Amino acid sequence: METMLRVTDIHAAYGAVRALHGVSLEVAEGEVVALLGVNGAGKSTTLRAITGLMKPTQGSITFRGEDITGRKPESIVKRGLSLVPEGREIFSTLTVEENLRLGAYVSYSRETYREDLEEMFELFPILKERFTQAGGLLSGGEQQMLAIARALMARPKLLMLDEPSLGLSPAITDHVFELIAQLRERGLTILLVEQNAERALEVVDKAYLLSNGVVEASGTAAEVKAQVDLASIYLGGEDSDGTGVGM
Amino acid sequence: MSLLRQAADWTRHHAALPLLAALLVVAGLVINFLGSPLLVNIFTFFCVSLMMVIGVQVFMGNSGILSFLHVGFVGVGAYVSGLLSTAPATKALGVPNLYPFLVDIQIPVLPAIAVGGLVAALIAVIIGYPLMRLSDAVAVITLFATLIVFHVIMTQWDNVTNGPRTFFGVPEYTTLIVALVAAVGFLLVGYWFRESSVGLRLRASRDDRYAAAATGIHVMGVRYAGFVLSALMGGLAGGLWAHYITSFSPKAFYLTEMFLLISMIVIGGTGSISGAVIGTTLVTVAREGLRQVEAFINNARVLPFEVYGLTELVLAVLLVLVLVWRPAGVIGGQEIGVRLLRNRRALPQEDVPTD
Repeated sequence: METMLRVTDIHAAYGAVRALHGVSLEVAEGEVVALLGVNGAGKSTTLRAITGLMKPTQGSITFRGEDITGRKPESIVKRGLSLVPEGREIFSTLTVEENLRLGAYVSYSRETYREDLEEMFELFPILKERFTQAGGLLSGGEQQMLAIARALMARPKLLMLDEPSLGLSPAITDHVFELIAQLRERGLTILLVEQNAERALEVVDKAYLLSNGVVEASGTAAEVKAQVDLASIYLGGEDSDGTGVGM
Repeated sequence: MSLLRQAADWTRHHAALPLLAALLVVAGLVINFLGSPLLVNIFTFFCVSLMMVIGVQVFMGNSGILSFLHVGFVGVGAYVSGLLSTAPATKALGVPNLYPFLVDIQIPVLPAIAVGGLVAALIAVIIGYPLMRLSDAVAVITLFATLIVFHVIMTQWDNVTNGPRTFFGVPEYTTLIVALVAAVGFLLVGYWFRESSVGLRLRASRDDRYAAAATGIHVMGVRYAGFVLSALMGGLAGGLWAHYITSFSPKAFYLTEMFLLISMIVIGGTGSISGAVIGTTLVTVAREGLRQVEAFINNARVLPFEVYGLTELVLAVLLVLVLVWRPAGVIGGQEIGVRLLRNRRALPQEDVPTD
């Protein structure tokens, strides 16, 4: 398999606070990879650096052979890298339709838009029902569906999900993970950020464990799982609601 | 989809536009037919105000950045259009220090108004480039500071504006019909921009700047586009205003007027063109009503002292009340047609499993 995303030794900081101290990871085409770790481990920062929302102070990021380090988010999205931001950041005053249209904006054409829309209705029937409603009127789970659908409308080559189960009820969390498995079967490459290591490892091929801004462990899901069991205390262990992290 | 269904669909989604335009035109024609000078004046002024408010809405409503600067662009349009169209003899008399090449120029009113709009837009192109990178409170304060800069230039540039003194003799051009046609045009442009691809992306950046960037929206770019269009509209509205009022001073493009524009748009609702129309209507009616009351009180000597500033005071209270009870404005962020349609549907209550 060909490497799609290669992150090499990136460092990043929020002002004087250094968040990443040399993170390296690789995502191959068709792979589903998890980025695990507790709050503050640097998971979201890594995603922000990849999507260009934050500029790494050191290191490089290549996407499909092209160096995208420090590029603007809009040019990175155009290259086929979509992020579903943490906390279901949908456009709450815009309608579901407008949200989806914005997602499709980077690859907009009337025919593909209709087609993609039908596909999203199939994946998320609820969005068809709520089509003309403001995004803010949707429930938390529906907003997450909308956020994912919006990212998919851009026809990404790599989809990045930042804590998709955060703050959702167990039933909806199940639904989100089912969906990830479904997208994986379709051959979509996914980089998944999760605190809920147990659940994440069920659906991924490979995982990286971040801790204090460095990669502490990496390998196939099975390999990491072995280490996760050892470290279950601080990874949350049996915690399955995706919100709590063992202290 | 058949053409008929498409048309029906369009009307259902965009009912607000024909409705507002029709109301405006009917009201204008009725008042024009009645011919009462007071009503004609009020309505003409209303149309010009509406144009300014729609100009503000294009930027502020869609980007979510409160802009105090807009009235400055109105001033630029008014001065440029006035300078270009006023007779040389009048200008030489009214603005003694005017640059000689400006004294000699005289072009017809319509092109003069157009140039006024373009100059305002050009200024926006220059100052917007750095300004549009700013967000939130920083942007608001910077725009406010820029208005002060505009005001200082207008009051000090003796060779162009006649300083703080009145600039007079601008040819009269803006009749009720002219103002009405222009206001309907602005309504169309404002509505079109809100629904356009750039407008949609700008509204997305208003809702969530980071999510917008992650969706591939060039936030600064769409803001810049909205800002320049808004300045163009402000400049054009200023030109029409100048040819209605015929004499003015820099005072007309400062805090009092900007407060009036802001109260209009905030009371109606910044998020939509319907809000701009309703806010302008309410404030105009309130203002004219209060003016009559004020005049009555002062003339009849009901009180032992003269009453001034009643209008501003009541508007300020009205503004506070709206912000407390309906922060999104009287009609909220939606266009009227869509809103009525949406209210009939049940709102989802809580986080329920979707499968």
